[in-house]
Amino acid sequence: MYGFEALTFNIHAGYLEAIVRGYRSGMLTAVDYNNLSQCETLDDIKLHLLATDYGHYLQNEPSPLHTTAIVEKCTQKLVDDYNHLLSQATEPLSKFLEYITYGYIIDNVVLIVTGALHERDVQELLEKCHPLGMFDGIATVAAAHSMSELYRLVLIDTPLAPYFSECITSEDLDDMNIEIMRNTLYKAYLEDFYRFCQKLGGATAEIMCDLLSFEADRRAVNITINSIGTELTRDDRRKLYSNFGLLYPYGHEELAVGEDFDQVRAVVEKYPPYQAIFAKLSYGESQMLDKAFYEEEVKRLTLSFEQQFHYAVFFAYVRLREQEIRNLMWISECVAQNQKSRVHDGIVLIF
Amino acid sequence: MAAAPATSVQGTARTSSLIAIIADEDTVTGFLLAGVGNVDLRRKTNYLIVDSKTPVKAIEDAFKEFTTRDDIAVLLISQYIANMIRFLIDSYKKPLPAILEIPSKDHPYDPTHDSILSRVKHMFSSDPAGPIGRG
Amino acid sequence: MSGSGQRLNVVPTVTVLGVVKARLVGATKGHQLLKKKSDALTMQFRQILKRIVQTKESMGDIMKSASFALTEAKYTAGDNIKHIVRENVQSATIKVKAKQENVAGVKLPKFEHFTEAGESKNDLTGLARGGQQIQLCRSAYVKAVELLVELASLQTSFLTLDEAIKTTNRRVNALENVVKPRLENTISYIKGELDELEREEFFRLKKIQGFKKREVERQRKKKFEEDQVAEIDWEKTHTKGFGSDLLVPEAQKDEDIIF
Repeated sequence: MYGFEALTFNIHAGYLEAIVRGYRSGMLTAVDYNNLSQCETLDDIKLHLLATDYGHYLQNEPSPLHTTAIVEKCTQKLVDDYNHLLSQATEPLSKFLEYITYGYIIDNVVLIVTGALHERDVQELLEKCHPLGMFDGIATVAAAHSMSELYRLVLIDTPLAPYFSECITSEDLDDMNIEIMRNTLYKAYLEDFYRFCQKLGGATAEIMCDLLSFEADRRAVNITINSIGTELTRDDRRKLYSNFGLLYPYGHEELAVGEDFDQVRAVVEKYPPYQAIFAKLSYGESQMLDKAFYEEEVKRLTLSFEQQFHYAVFFAYVRLREQEIRNLMWISECVAQNQKSRVHDGIVLIF
Repeated sequence: MAAAPATSVQGTARTSSLIAIIADEDTVTGFLLAGVGNVDLRRKTNYLIVDSKTPVKAIEDAFKEFTTRDDIAVLLISQYIANMIRFLIDSYKKPLPAILEIPSKDHPYDPTHDSILSRVKHMFSSDPAGPIGRG
Repeated sequence: MSGSGQRLNVVPTVTVLGVVKARLVGATKGHQLLKKKSDALTMQFRQILKRIVQTKESMGDIMKSASFALTEAKYTAGDNIKHIVRENVQSATIKVKAKQENVAGVKLPKFEHFTEAGESKNDLTGLARGGQQIQLCRSAYVKAVELLVELASLQTSFLTLDEAIKTTNRRVNALENVVKPRLENTISYIKGELDELEREEFFRLKKIQGFKKREVERQRKKKFEEDQVAEIDWEKTHTKGFGSDLLVPEAQKDEDIIF
């Protein structure tokens, strides 16, 4: 089916695919998680992690450990891995890798804009930004006072520029539309990423489109549920859904008018792949939905490693590491807060 | 709003006051989420985030500032931070603002360190007839 | 103990005695009243103590569940959520109102939390993921704030009451051990002084009486002697002629003067 790719793929991306698969095998396994959830203190966790790929990052941490420190160091590992991959990559893989970070860039831009609105110190804000989402001139974002100014001064030079065409309004920036701006940008980003993957074709397109559709649908469901009871109108809500995915377009119409969790559930259960997710939840229970989605996402991401000669493994790797960091954060928080009975509620086993 | 019930509210007491917080990052975040955070025109906050890099001097200054500001009625302080400036807290005698030591997530609550609770316990132990002295 | 032997510096008269006695009555009454106040405060104090201990214990649990709710929110919405929350801070929506409660004349400050009108900024936070957890976390912390505000008013009441009880007890003790003994001492001093005066008066009367008695005795003696002299004279005058007529009425006249 993808014979031609197999011929040429390894010329440029073979080495990196090998590396990423190597990284993948360094991820924590069920056994590791079992051991970690037995830990009594954060130092025990550190001790366990020292034997894994994280060892190098954690070994110099001074002893009164904090969850934040662990999370920070583990994120550092992800960032370093990513940068290593990026520095070796050639077109179009490098472009693909950059696309992965756009989501973080959006978060950082939004964070800085919010901070600038409340006149915070830009330097402080920069420290809080996600390292994967840094770009040159990010600090100047703070200088913007309105949406169009932000676009004209700063973002025109960034990859985000095209996404802004959708959400430029004459309105001044305020709290309400910042969150909407974030989601509009993210919507545009997902759609663009989707188009890009389709353009790449082959196995990459096949797998990535599936993953991105899932992401888009998840966002649509989450936005619906989270905007119930807020002043977000149906039209605004509809505008935040990405224009692809399984739920597009008919599911979106129905979601847009959903007024409570059970209505959302009724809509989404019409789609077989999501039925299984909701089947785990009892009626009226919406708390564990996020976790159910995470589990489904991990399942799909893991499956992408089953095929060769495609870029989706890079995307999957970054996402899986993220999930792993979330797991670690959960475990260490549970240990730190002495809530060990809850440890297993938050771990999504990856392999 | 304009006509406060004059019977119960003292003339000098403000009709509304803030809750100040000195705590670790997560605890502060939680309380800010609940809506106690306030930033005034001069960008002065009513909270202080303490991490491992925060010098004790900064905590002391924040404590002194919060206890002298007249728009603060309650000061929440993480217990482990309170332990760092215990001498200040023990010498603090004013009823307003009220100082409350709260547990933080990394540091389980230890009643023996609480300035108030230790006084309470002391009173019970010195007074065997106390209602819950056995407890 | 410190009051024993002390007394007010007053002139010991009957009027002052009355005044001091009135003051003693007043002091006793005041002492009783203060004692009652102190008892009332102590009762309130004990109730507050009990509630403080209870609330402090439940605070541990509530804070624990609140910070765990934050963990859940961070898990679903990402670690970045704390920055978003922090950057969104502008003006407090939860504030406290200070009220006063009156217990036996002691003004106890009492806090009440209230939510200021206006939509909160974090309504849409985590719209794409974790929004629900964030709302849950928020309500957990709002609950924590409620409890903490209650605890704050209990604690402030505790401190104020403690102070009030100390002052009241000091007054009770002062009345009991200083003022009252002093007044009592003064009373007994005045009484003693008055008795002393009375005794002196009595003694003086006695003395005067004795003096008078002696005088009478002396007069009588003198008269007796004079009578004898007169008799001799009379015999002389009778033998010699006149002269006794003049002396007899004179002696009678003298007697009249003495008595």
